[in-house]
Amino acid sequence: MRATLSSRRLLLAVVAAALAAPAARAADVNEATERAMKAASAKVAPAVVKIETAGGAEVVGAGKKGPGGENGIRKGTGPTTGLVVDPDGFVVTSSFNFANKPTDIFVTVPGKPRFVAKVVATDQTRMLTLLKIDAKGLAVPEAFPKAGIDIGQWSLALGRTSDPDADHPPSMSVGIVSATNRIWGKAIQTDAKTSPVNYGGPLVALNGQVLGVIVPASNRAEGETAGVDVYDGGIGFAIPLEDVFAVVPRLKQGKDLKRGLLGINPQGTDAYNAPPVIGAVQPDSAAARAGIQVGDKILEVDGKKIPNFSTLQHVLGPKYEGDEIAIKIARGDKEQEFKGVKLVGTSTAYVSAFLGVLPMRDDAEPGVEVRYVYPKSPAEAAGIKVGDRITKLGPAAAPALSPVANRNALIAALQRMTPGTEVKIEVKRKDGGKTDTVTAKLVPAPDALPDAVPLPSSKGKAGGAAQPKPKDKEPKDPFGRADGPTDGDASAEDEPKKDEKKEEKKDDKDKPKVETGLLKRTNEALGREYWVYVPDNYDAGKSYGVIVWFHDTNEATKDGKQVSRTFRDVCEDRNFIMVGPKSGGKDGWVPSETEVVMQDVKTVLGQYTIDRTRVVAHGQGNGGQMAFYVGFNARDVFRGVGTVGAVLGTNPKDNVANQPLSFFVSGGDKDPLIKDIRESKDLLTERRFPVIYREMKESGKEYFDPPTFTDFIAWLDSLDRI
Amino acid sequence: MTLLRPPVEAGGVTAHDPNAPMTRHSTWFLAAALAAPFAAAPARAADPFNEVAEKANQKMVKVFGAGGFSRLNSYGTGIIISPDGHVLTAASQLLDTSELVVHLYDGQRLKAQVLAVEPELDVAIIKIRVEGKKIEEPTGLNLDYFDFAAAAKRPPAETGDWVLALTNTFEIALRDEPLSLQRGVVMARTKLAGRRGVFEFPYTGDVYVVDAITNNPGAAGGALLTRKGELIGVVGREIKNSLSDTWMNYAIPVNAKVDIKEVVKTKDKDGKEKDEEKVTTVTMPDFVALGMQGKYKNVTRPKTVLGEGGYHGIVFVPNILDRTPAYVEDVVPGSPAAKAGLRPDDLVSFIDGEPVASINVFQTWLKKNTRPGQVVRIEVRRGEALQTIEMTLGVPPKAATPTPAPMPK
Repeated sequence: MRATLSSRRLLLAVVAAALAAPAARAADVNEATERAMKAASAKVAPAVVKIETAGGAEVVGAGKKGPGGENGIRKGTGPTTGLVVDPDGFVVTSSFNFANKPTDIFVTVPGKPRFVAKVVATDQTRMLTLLKIDAKGLAVPEAFPKAGIDIGQWSLALGRTSDPDADHPPSMSVGIVSATNRIWGKAIQTDAKTSPVNYGGPLVALNGQVLGVIVPASNRAEGETAGVDVYDGGIGFAIPLEDVFAVVPRLKQGKDLKRGLLGINPQGTDAYNAPPVIGAVQPDSAAARAGIQVGDKILEVDGKKIPNFSTLQHVLGPKYEGDEIAIKIARGDKEQEFKGVKLVGTSTAYVSAFLGVLPMRDDAEPGVEVRYVYPKSPAEAAGIKVGDRITKLGPAAAPALSPVANRNALIAALQRMTPGTEVKIEVKRKDGGKTDTVTAKLVPAPDALPDAVPLPSSKGKAGGAAQPKPKDKEPKDPFGRADGPTDGDASAEDEPKKDEKKEEKKDDKDKPKVETGLLKRTNEALGREYWVYVPDNYDAGKSYGVIVWFHDTNEATKDGKQVSRTFRDVCEDRNFIMVGPKSGGKDGWVPSETEVVMQDVKTVLGQYTIDRTRVVAHGQGNGGQMAFYVGFNARDVFRGVGTVGAVLGTNPKDNVANQPLSFFVSGGDKDPLIKDIRESKDLLTERRFPVIYREMKESGKEYFDPPTFTDFIAWLDSLDRI
Repeated sequence: MTLLRPPVEAGGVTAHDPNAPMTRHSTWFLAAALAAPFAAAPARAADPFNEVAEKANQKMVKVFGAGGFSRLNSYGTGIIISPDGHVLTAASQLLDTSELVVHLYDGQRLKAQVLAVEPELDVAIIKIRVEGKKIEEPTGLNLDYFDFAAAAKRPPAETGDWVLALTNTFEIALRDEPLSLQRGVVMARTKLAGRRGVFEFPYTGDVYVVDAITNNPGAAGGALLTRKGELIGVVGREIKNSLSDTWMNYAIPVNAKVDIKEVVKTKDKDGKEKDEEKVTTVTMPDFVALGMQGKYKNVTRPKTVLGEGGYHGIVFVPNILDRTPAYVEDVVPGSPAAKAGLRPDDLVSFIDGEPVASINVFQTWLKKNTRPGQVVRIEVRRGEALQTIEMTLGVPPKAATPTPAPMPK
């Protein structure tokens, strides 16, 4: 029995009262529980406040009205909920509620007039925001002891959104605690309905103590809107109130709290079974400062055994910047303990290491044939030439080099290294077939494009001989004429038809049995349409990149025919497939559509030979903002985001080693949003993402001009740079 | 979008095992508590969900009608409200057919016909037809039914009340299969959130918001019951809350009431024409009582024409963004705003309790809801505090003299 005496008494009293009144009636456990729930809500209700905002973006992000209409992702703007955590006017709530950066925040405490509120600070790892109002003597709820939270116990999610009157009981949704220590040890999980209706409100136990503060959360993404897409989905989260109370004093100082990072990367990709051996140490990171080295095996953190990287993530998950930990490692046959390792924030974000080559794709032979060598790159300095084959690679200090199986293996090997690492590379020369070993010092991936990317880019040997035979014929133009990117008029040609294509194929046995051309598809389950463009010269022996096009609110950009016509040559020559999902609402994209879009994208990924290193989200205006959002929230799929005239809606997330993301950001110098677009670029650069930025002269809200389009193609075709 | 939500929440918990949904210690508390006054009486529900559901299921029908294309489903749910076969259901596109069919609890398949529809309440009454009998004639069915008049007289449910929903969600129940039972609580009794008219939804009265995912395809017209099986509401359709951009799960209460306001021209005793507000009230009990007799007459809702609204004399900062906050740039001397003491740099934050997110919201609200002479309560942010100001709206200045721009000082 961990609950306090007083709460036990309260419950007894409630139940006794419930039963005593209609003394003649049979004992009704349902009624008693129902009453206990209402009593628990009533106990916390005085601390549950309503939050309203004014100003800020109607949409998350820019929200400014330009000639192209709304730019940004819509967000609900209704009232939200908060919880008093200090009698002197401190209220904690979910950061989600401020994703649209309101100019004014008002808080209504039950029984009191409205107050003007100020944001004190934000906890960026738990996504909580502390507000201050000018009030004293507020009711503060009791925290349910964190260690005593049992899976299966009742949990009530309270909110202040549904009923405009804050003196009424808060809205209530009933569930149970589904799990504890979720989201890297930071959250309680519940099946009570959690949504923007009660984010920021308390999750309450049956005894009237507060389990936690309700937040949207996801174990796959970070940021204030992560996890909103599964609202009301039976998977809700709350940050334990005990943890919230613990962090309030730090937030009161007005400094945002960031997640604490150690700054290492695993050696292998197996986070579950392999022992946690360090594959890379970020320069100037907590680990580097402490003297932790590549090859060290982590044994314990703060006295807790660390059998694999997954456990390490769980242990470090709840830590903040500035927190100190103790790490025990094994180096060779010696054990060593580092005490007081001070975790750092995001300043040492992951930076990709770069050798300076483009690989030949879809190559069946072992090793990697060099398709292009970047000027002034480490590869050029080492004397690597186009046509050479990289066969082995390893750190210069290593006793032996490891064989390089293929392109993906080489990419993975470099992802585990940091800039500054000296590597030895064994190359088989194109001329003469001689084998040389060269040395190169890796550098950070530059924000530069290859000058001219040579073709072909593929050996056409993906998947081996079982694949359908490639065609010899020249692809025919599915659109009648090919146009440049700035072409604006959409001629009224026939709608693409699936059936015609199929019939056509019956007569042509040489053609692979896959659908090509501009295809109209319907997501059966949801009844939503999207289009796919597969170049007519599609060859299953080659792997294709995918460009997912997010249209703007502007009608013209929704036309699959026009968009794929623009990209026809790119798709045919450089092996890309395009996918064009459509937004559900007239006013543009909403973040919750990510899931639907990903269903469409994943369907396409499953149907064709896909090069996972070249899957990009591309969009203009509101669609560009959606591209940013989807890129960050479907990190497992996207490797690049290319935007025109779009602003980053939320703060960018950190770069991670095995899910790299590159950006191509552009805007017209006459676009009223250009300042915000520049700012978006700066934010990405700050997080050390590779960013190509192009500002188009004499351009407002138009699509790419020809030189920028050429650069965009070079960017698309160099996403698998090594 | 429906797939983003779980298709159906697991059915209700049977109360035969009272320990099932509880934690160890809460069970212990309850057991201890119960043991005290009732010496060793086992804790069990007086009204187990399964018994309640069994009885209620016999008073429900599955409705089949128009639809089946796009995202409009051709199936729904209905509540039997007379032994003769009157059925209360949602006023959906389903009813736009001459081939309306219902399935009774026992699997009987019968034709039905629409008797009355009230879009203001978003409900309709249909009557089951028996072969060879006219619609006005008694069917002789003698069905189990919910006594609607009695249900409407009970006090409304409160936040936190346990409720059960019976619906043919996703058309899972076929022929004689019982409907799907869901358990939840009343989250709140409140207005649908489309308070600023973003919703294109006819019903504007109170709803029960429930915390079970009740509003799925086919569920509209289902029954919301107390845990004792008393009818408290009609499950609504699938709609999205425009304020929080989330799907709503709601039911229209059995005692729903909607006031329809209309401005009519009347003449005062001096024969001068004046505007008067006329309020017509539409209630669910009236609709059901008259609708069953075929005597219900629809109230036609007047087209909402935005009037001028009352005049205030506030000059706002330039309204360049959709969400430009309602900052006061200046007030017209001698105007209602000046008299009320509004000042430059005040931020108009609430009007009659409604949040003013932007200048646009303020202007629209004023046009929709006010007339000259009306007193409005404005809360302005002045510095770091909110001040409440009462302002008596005036008559808009004549068109010839538009709101004068403030003179440069």
